[in-house]
Amino acid sequence: MSNIQARLQALSEDYTKLQKDLQDTVTSRQKLEAQKQENLGVQQEFEKLKDSETIYKLIGPVLLKQDRTDAESTVKGRLEFIDKEISRLEGHIKEVQEKMEKKKGEIIQIQTSAQAQGAGAGPQAVKARA
Amino acid sequence: MNLSRRMLTKEEEDAVGDEIEVRREDQDKINKFSRLHSHVLTLEEELQAKNKEKEELDDITTELELADEDELVPYKIGDAFFHVPLERAQELLGVSAAKVEQEIEELEDKMGTIREEMAGLKIDLYARFGKTINLET
Repeated sequence: MSNIQARLQALSEDYTKLQKDLQDTVTSRQKLEAQKQENLGVQQEFEKLKDSETIYKLIGPVLLKQDRTDAESTVKGRLEFIDKEISRLEGHIKEVQEKMEKKKGEIIQIQTSAQAQGAGAGPQAVKARA
Repeated sequence: MNLSRRMLTKEEEDAVGDEIEVRREDQDKINKFSRLHSHVLTLEEELQAKNKEKEELDDITTELELADEDELVPYKIGDAFFHVPLERAQELLGVSAAKVEQEIEELEDKMGTIREEMAGLKIDLYARFGKTINLET
């Protein structure tokens, strides 16, 4: 009986770990979404700029002039990276969710078989006494 | 997390025998350990932020070395930007960088002291409670 309990304990720990993994990944995904929106906003601002206007980047306390082409390509590159990361994380999220479903199944299986065993032992014990 | 010092198995729990009494001083030490640990975590976050600041200052210092001396540099002080000559900007950056370095050193010192104290408490508590206490962070 304690073997089943040990197994249930192990499975439920695994499940908890998966939950945490899921939560962490979802949080990262949300952060990326925010970064994506910010960079999209910057891109839109760039498109509105006249050729005569200058772009500055804030590094520490200093506003440093940026070359327009460099700035635009940097933002574009960042957006591409963010999109890739978002897809990767979404894939991971699906994976973890599937693993969690499987674990849940395993846990339920063990719980039902444990109950069946308990139920089965009853009638047999009565038989032996009679 | 150090899993080797996790919860006791049933056998280990039986092997321990009678529980060791938790005296007032023991509880105080446990509470202190906990407080110190929280503090260290906060300091670590601060240290991370300071290091990031230092990195940015280093970056901009390097960038400015390549800048045109005739152009004014917009330097942020508070919420306003002051257009200063290159040399002045570099001066100001130097002052900020030194200040941040100082703050980093102080943070690291403080963290070192706290960690030492935690190590001392660990020795005392493990000596008294052995496997029945888990102080791994």
